[in-house]
Amino acid sequence: MKIKNTLAPALAGLTIAAGASLTIASSHREAPSIAEDQYVDNTDVYAFISPTDSSKLVMVANYVPLLIPSSGPNFYRFSDEAYYEIHIDNDGDAKDDITYRWTFKNELKNGSTFLYNTGAVDSLSDPDLNVTQSYRLEKIEEKTGRKTRLLDKAPVAPWNVGKRSFPDYDKVANEAVKSAGGVTAFAGPRDEPFFVDLHVFDLLGVAGAPTTDGINVMSLVLEVPITDIAKGGRRPAAGSTGQDSVVGIYASASRPQVRILRRGRDSDDFGQMIQVSRLAWPLVNEVIIPLQDKDKYNRSAPKDDVKNFGAYILDPEVPKLLNAVLGAGCAPTPAGGRTDIVGLLAPNGTTAADLLRININQGETNAQSHFPNGRALADDVTDTLLTVACNNGGAIGDGVNANDKAFLTYMPYLASPHSGNP
Amino acid sequence: MHRTLLVLSMITACKSEDHRPGAPQDPPPPRLINATQHDLAKELGEATGRGTWGDVKRRWQGQTLTWKVTRYASLCRTAEACYVAAFPVQRPAKVGWLPQLMFGTGQYAVLEAACGDQPQCEITFEGRLDKLETSAEMPTNVRFADVRILTRTASR
Repeated sequence: MKIKNTLAPALAGLTIAAGASLTIASSHREAPSIAEDQYVDNTDVYAFISPTDSSKLVMVANYVPLLIPSSGPNFYRFSDEAYYEIHIDNDGDAKDDITYRWTFKNELKNGSTFLYNTGAVDSLSDPDLNVTQSYRLEKIEEKTGRKTRLLDKAPVAPWNVGKRSFPDYDKVANEAVKSAGGVTAFAGPRDEPFFVDLHVFDLLGVAGAPTTDGINVMSLVLEVPITDIAKGGRRPAAGSTGQDSVVGIYASASRPQVRILRRGRDSDDFGQMIQVSRLAWPLVNEVIIPLQDKDKYNRSAPKDDVKNFGAYILDPEVPKLLNAVLGAGCAPTPAGGRTDIVGLLAPNGTTAADLLRININQGETNAQSHFPNGRALADDVTDTLLTVACNNGGAIGDGVNANDKAFLTYMPYLASPHSGNP
Repeated sequence: MHRTLLVLSMITACKSEDHRPGAPQDPPPPRLINATQHDLAKELGEATGRGTWGDVKRRWQGQTLTWKVTRYASLCRTAEACYVAAFPVQRPAKVGWLPQLMFGTGQYAVLEAACGDQPQCEITFEGRLDKLETSAEMPTNVRFADVRILTRTASR
């Protein structure tokens, strides 16, 4: 990555089951601009109390949607010309208090071959693993600007090329789980945990087909002590309902402001980093925000969601669409608008915003971490959100109710990625 | 060095507003009489096709306007963070923005007294549109300052 900051100042699916269905990918290729920039397309965010240590919070940010396992020879990775970030609001004002930032670096051992690996790989340090990535993970305290380097030159798990290249892929990938200072992190390909029927985009032609089965995604997984992110470093007492009893989480990706392509060498990037993708709740930009504002949503900040997009939340399009196309019998938007949805985006008196909020009070356990109190990997958020959107007293499902692979009970929690040559 | 200067020159040239010292000042825009949120939304919609965002901003920003809006308690909880719905529920919404109200002295209390604990109520206010951010790249942002509550026209 060559990001030059010297000029910065100047450059200053839903499936209606029970008869009908509709599925939507959470935030996969949801806006025009980001669809052209796949490597920084944020697809889903998860947050849950750790199943192995209830004093810790697990956050997952997925990027690079809909990856076919046999996608060589240039297998998918993270961009080395971007910031990948998870942001946390710990006092309810919808503004960033803590940011975790990943930056990646590509490495190539042997440029004279087209192969990702030149022999069977049995460890991350195997000389036959030709193409690798590493990353730096930093914690930024936004109020003070204090930046702490948590990990440096940490390895990214390789692509699961196939059984000839990786006789024991999981052994190799698990070497990419790294810990330092109470924080544990993982970066690399995993099985796509979001389960949906993407046939929805063929005029809502859904039938419960699990179209994301067999698909991979690039995952950032971070497990941190809750005291690292709680306001003042203290978890509120059990039963607290203050604004600091929840943290609000979103993920983003940013690109350098200017890129200059060179005829004779690699390009140069200049300027400050510009946010090009963000995500918290599933499906908000996908189906709440209309096409005219989707790219603007990706560039904006959650603290401004009400003034920027509040009218779309008060009067969403989804129930009308369900009625018009599928005769779903959704309730009409009440005369007062969908203030119930506003309420879901503002628990415990927090500022309404598209943030994935989760209770961090003492005594909270993994069993309580289910959307919209955080989001567990197995949560069927499509069903939940459709039911909320339709608002007719009945449950609506998408016909796809579980992931194709079992999730892990230990870091990195997401299932191993599908093999390119099983 | 030449490339750096070229880039800087291009950026300067591309800036949409002319702030050169001594540059002729545009005459102030005519006062907008009885201009409603529907008029603003229409102009913003036309700007989308024409790229005339700056013209809309010049015409509207700074104008004192009287609008009838809906105050939702959940979106206007304090004087510092009060957003109101400029349009009725339209099935579905055509624009996303909600105007922010910055109150004149004592006026938030007037609003609270007018609306009581109703989850929503319609109000008419007068205020100066002190901030209109609108462009092809970022969401439209509408803010009124010196807001004075004129009437509470209905409640539910």
